[in-house]
Amino acid sequence: MATKSVLRRYATANAMLGGMLALLLSSGVVLAQYPERPITLITPYAAGGSHDLNARVFTTYIQRYLGQPIVIKLVPGQAGQKGTLEAVQAPPDGYTLIFTDNYRDQLYQHTFGTRHYDTTEDLVAVARLNYGQVGMIVRGDSPYRTWQDFEADARARPGELKMSHSGLWAAFFVAGAQVMKDRDLRLRMVPYRGGGPAKAALLADDVDISAAFPATVLADVEAGLIRILATAGAERTIADVPSFAELGISPTTGYMHRAVMAPRAIPEDRLARLRAAFDELQRDADYRAAMTRLGENTEYLDGVAYESERRALGQQYGELAEAIAEL
Amino acid sequence: MLDALLAGFDAALRVDTFIWMSGGLLLGMLMGAMPGFTTTMGMSVLMPVAFLVGDPLLGIPFLIGIYKGGIYGGSVPAILISMPGTAASVVTVMDGHELTKKGQPRKALDMGLAASVISDFISDFLTLILIIPVAAIVLGFGPPEIAAIMFLSLVIVAVTATGPVLKGLLMLGVGFWLSFVGADPFSAMERYTFGTTELYDGFHLIPMLIGLFALPEIFNAVRAGDKQRGHVTSLIGDRLSWAELKNSMRTILRSTGIGTAVGLVPGLGQTVAAMMGYIAAKNASKHPETFGKGELDGVAAAESANNAVNGPTMVPLLTLGIPGDNVTALLLGAFMMQGLRPGPTLFETSGATVFAILIVMLFANLIFWVIGYYTIPLFSRVVTIRKGLLIPITIMLAFTGTYLARSNPFDLITLIGFGVIGLAARKAAFDVMPMVMGFILGRELEYSFGQTLSLAGDNLLQFAFTERLGMTAIVIATPILGTLIGLRMNRLRRQELMRGG
Repeated sequence: MATKSVLRRYATANAMLGGMLALLLSSGVVLAQYPERPITLITPYAAGGSHDLNARVFTTYIQRYLGQPIVIKLVPGQAGQKGTLEAVQAPPDGYTLIFTDNYRDQLYQHTFGTRHYDTTEDLVAVARLNYGQVGMIVRGDSPYRTWQDFEADARARPGELKMSHSGLWAAFFVAGAQVMKDRDLRLRMVPYRGGGPAKAALLADDVDISAAFPATVLADVEAGLIRILATAGAERTIADVPSFAELGISPTTGYMHRAVMAPRAIPEDRLARLRAAFDELQRDADYRAAMTRLGENTEYLDGVAYESERRALGQQYGELAEAIAEL
Repeated sequence: MLDALLAGFDAALRVDTFIWMSGGLLLGMLMGAMPGFTTTMGMSVLMPVAFLVGDPLLGIPFLIGIYKGGIYGGSVPAILISMPGTAASVVTVMDGHELTKKGQPRKALDMGLAASVISDFISDFLTLILIIPVAAIVLGFGPPEIAAIMFLSLVIVAVTATGPVLKGLLMLGVGFWLSFVGADPFSAMERYTFGTTELYDGFHLIPMLIGLFALPEIFNAVRAGDKQRGHVTSLIGDRLSWAELKNSMRTILRSTGIGTAVGLVPGLGQTVAAMMGYIAAKNASKHPETFGKGELDGVAAAESANNAVNGPTMVPLLTLGIPGDNVTALLLGAFMMQGLRPGPTLFETSGATVFAILIVMLFANLIFWVIGYYTIPLFSRVVTIRKGLLIPITIMLAFTGTYLARSNPFDLITLIGFGVIGLAARKAAFDVMPMVMGFILGRELEYSFGQTLSLAGDNLLQFAFTERLGMTAIVIATPILGTLIGLRMNRLRRQELMRGG
């Protein structure tokens, strides 16, 4: 009896020891591999915006490929400069990333005078997650059947037609500004607090034209309340709606790239690890389905490719800011 | 449409839906009770939970529960420790915390709950039956109308301030001026920032509220010491009686009407509703002098008005696909994640599901009453905590709440600054409420007025008299209404003076 209990105790102790050893060994392996603890993702936006929603979705799934969760930290303020500064100043150990867009990244240096950093030098692209592609929209009962109708009227009455947009130098404002620059038009730009109120202003007939991401107005188009006159890009995305390029508007206009970036000094292997995880995420069916339901695309661009694209954008935005300042 | 409504009724009666909803309500209440942790932040964090469950009748009621619970939860610290958890509960502080000081925190919390639940129920019911016809009205309110309503609100706040008119106007002016600090929304030109980046976005509302309302209370509590400690039951006080609820029923119904109307206009929000409801109640009361000194009716007026806003904000969201604020933007995302696309075709394609959600929203109020009824005794025990312990906890909440709001260390300095201002104002018998209202309304007025000018172009007068008669009517009515209310208030002031002298 006594021997049995001793034996059992011995066996238990042995098992526990073995377990602990195994745990130690495995944790040793985990420790050697980045990431070993949760990663912080700074999003320089207020809660509830499209970036917030996109971030909530992709961070839910990327955990599968990183082995660690990504925790979202909202740092809104100063047109995104506060959050960007925090990311730039964070230790470049791969545990602090930023989820930003091409305007905060490349345009605001020209428009808001970002004094404390240079995003191009201080940040490096991990991945471009997806993009929002702008369309120019009018009311369903508007006299403008085509973009040419609108442009002709706008040219005949410079500074009289009104465009509602989502805020100074926000996505729809930039698109409108580039359209004005490229087509030499003068519109009266009326700011609203975000895309929703800007669309409401169009539906209420307070303004003549507005911009929207086509996915967000599909129901209105079906119901005949809204007509899309043109969509951004070189190619058509809707069969009978012309693209910006066909109308003589720069084909890179009207894209909001949602990108994850890291401080430039991040170790090479860690950057590679992150980029690989985003590559793998693209093959995740659940992630793709969730994004589609949200009305967002999964047009992914890897970090290396986006790195060169963002530099080209920065140059274009410099010219745009100058042109608008002259107006 | 009736078929869809009936089918929705059928779909809504599910046990698991109610469990998720209750969970959301409870979480929302706790988050709202945490100063600085806004309802939007709570919803945003729990958003993945809502879409991972994959059933619109679980995820969306869960989020709506957080929304509703959060708006009520804000009134808990407002009543107990004079710390408005959210901007929506600023007005609740005035009478709610006075009641706590009189030893009636339980009554105040009960009244807040009853008023919230009743008004929420009525406004949700109105939303449910009127959502289709009312959708067209929503678009009639653009920036010009909002600017006019803001102007009207400002005048009403000015004439109804307690104490001498001049002091009220002065505080209103200071608040109004403070709202201009920071980059202007139209050209990003910096104003009164002294070249610092900290003031680029202007002052934040949360540290201002906590500083003005909570810090002076803490200071006073420290000076008063722990002498008047009594028995536990004498500190918490009684529950609300039916008679008291019946007495405030008129106020609750009036505030519900005001709140529902405010909710229909995108962009006005809970704070404006609460303030309007409170002022209307004070104006209609037979004893307006008791307002601000611990009047149950005051709590009822504020809490029913701010909660009545919740239901109608769903109207533009569901029928037009237009989110008016960040909370509805999150709900829009939640709907889309479940395969429902808010907009003009929503009721045709998934009418039953949407009606089911609205019906669940209606029932949520009854569940909330039960949850509230059993948690209020726990919450109200806060006042029985020894002051030596409660004061440090309150100070900690003030600072963590401020930091939580937007993780900005500069806000802590703002908090202390406004605490000093609040203390000085109290010493000199200045009411800080007009200052807060001036600050909140000032920003909105500036923005909507700027939009109006931009819409009007060169000829504002022509714009006002041909295109925007609604705005013009409100602007013309403002001085008339202001004078009438002002005269009545002056009479009351005189009576009070005579009674006092």
